[in-house]
Amino acid sequence: MRRKQVEIATDPVAFEAFYRRHVDAITRFLARRVEDPHTVADLVAEVFVAVLDSAHTYRESRGSEIAWLYGVARNTLSAERRRAFRESRLADRVSGRRLLDSDDVARLEERIDAEGRARRALEAMAGLPEGERAVLELVAIDQLTVTEAAQALGIRQGTARVRLHRARRVLRDVPLVMEGTTG
Amino acid sequence: MSFEERLLMELKAEVAARGVERRRRVTVRRLFAGAAVAGLAAAAAVAVPLLTGTESPAYAVTKNTDGTIRVQIKEFRDADKLEADLARMGVTADVTYLKPGTWCKEGRGKVLGSDNPDDWDKSISGKAIRHTKDGVDLDPKYLGKNRTAVLTYAEDPKAASSKKPSVLWQFGGSVVEGPVEPCVVVDNPSWNDVDGEGQPPAGS
Repeated sequence: MRRKQVEIATDPVAFEAFYRRHVDAITRFLARRVEDPHTVADLVAEVFVAVLDSAHTYRESRGSEIAWLYGVARNTLSAERRRAFRESRLADRVSGRRLLDSDDVARLEERIDAEGRARRALEAMAGLPEGERAVLELVAIDQLTVTEAAQALGIRQGTARVRLHRARRVLRDVPLVMEGTTG
Repeated sequence: MSFEERLLMELKAEVAARGVERRRRVTVRRLFAGAAVAGLAAAAAVAVPLLTGTESPAYAVTKNTDGTIRVQIKEFRDADKLEADLARMGVTADVTYLKPGTWCKEGRGKVLGSDNPDDWDKSISGKAIRHTKDGVDLDPKYLGKNRTAVLTYAEDPKAASSKKPSVLWQFGGSVVEGPVEPCVVVDNPSWNDVDGEGQPPAGS
């Protein structure tokens, strides 16, 4: 499986299968966190380029593909928020917004609207300590299991469980917070 | 086509470029051979669908009625398999895919060619390896017997989508007698020496 993962970075067929499995989930993941369709498009492109750069870091024994991918997406997003990626990306390599036509923009706007409830819940979580918020986001909003969330964040399962519990205790009245797995 | 499909195309071009890059490194280490620059043909702004329809095989090998073997490259991968398929048809071949703007250093073996480009078609290399619009035709009559058909391709997947005329790919074919030296990848300054459409680069 690790070998398969490495192949997605060099074999167009393997990459296409991987992309089709996950492009919707990644778009929704980003639409929950970013309100501008052009930035969403850039980030979708950016996440999959990051997948190519870090395909060698995936280990099947450490959990699911989607958990690994959400970990990549989180890193990409925080890089974007630090504004660092604009400098570090290779100029014009793969620019998402350049590929958008007006239909795509409308479709992305619909998706962003559809994720409004999740986005409001994420805003309500903003005051939590970073570590707790990260676990709660992935479990309640992105529907990962605690095990997967721990994998995406590179922390121990027990740690993730404790952080989730604390975060939920603080925010139990916020919609969506108690959703997702309890394990 | 939707954004997702267009992005997939771009990303696959990126994957292919990385594959070529990786292959180039492997090529050097594994002593794969390439061709002398002689017999170089290039085309500008030719819509070579290198990156679409990846469900189909990377290449096709067919037998022509005159006994020659036609090689059509669709994607720049599976060079080893192509060599094996050609070997089954009695042709020892050496296939190298390079990234744009590079080529194998000259002096890789005893090329049965000609120093004069005008005489190239009359040489063993010119007779054994013919570049046509449908692919590359190999003539087994001039191969075998300690001879290797050395096929070198360089491609630019990004140029496939650009509107301005630019070099999409270059192909070099020559017959080497005896051992074939490893491909030492060097810059190919003639990469962009293309005048108008479908002209070979200067010095080819």
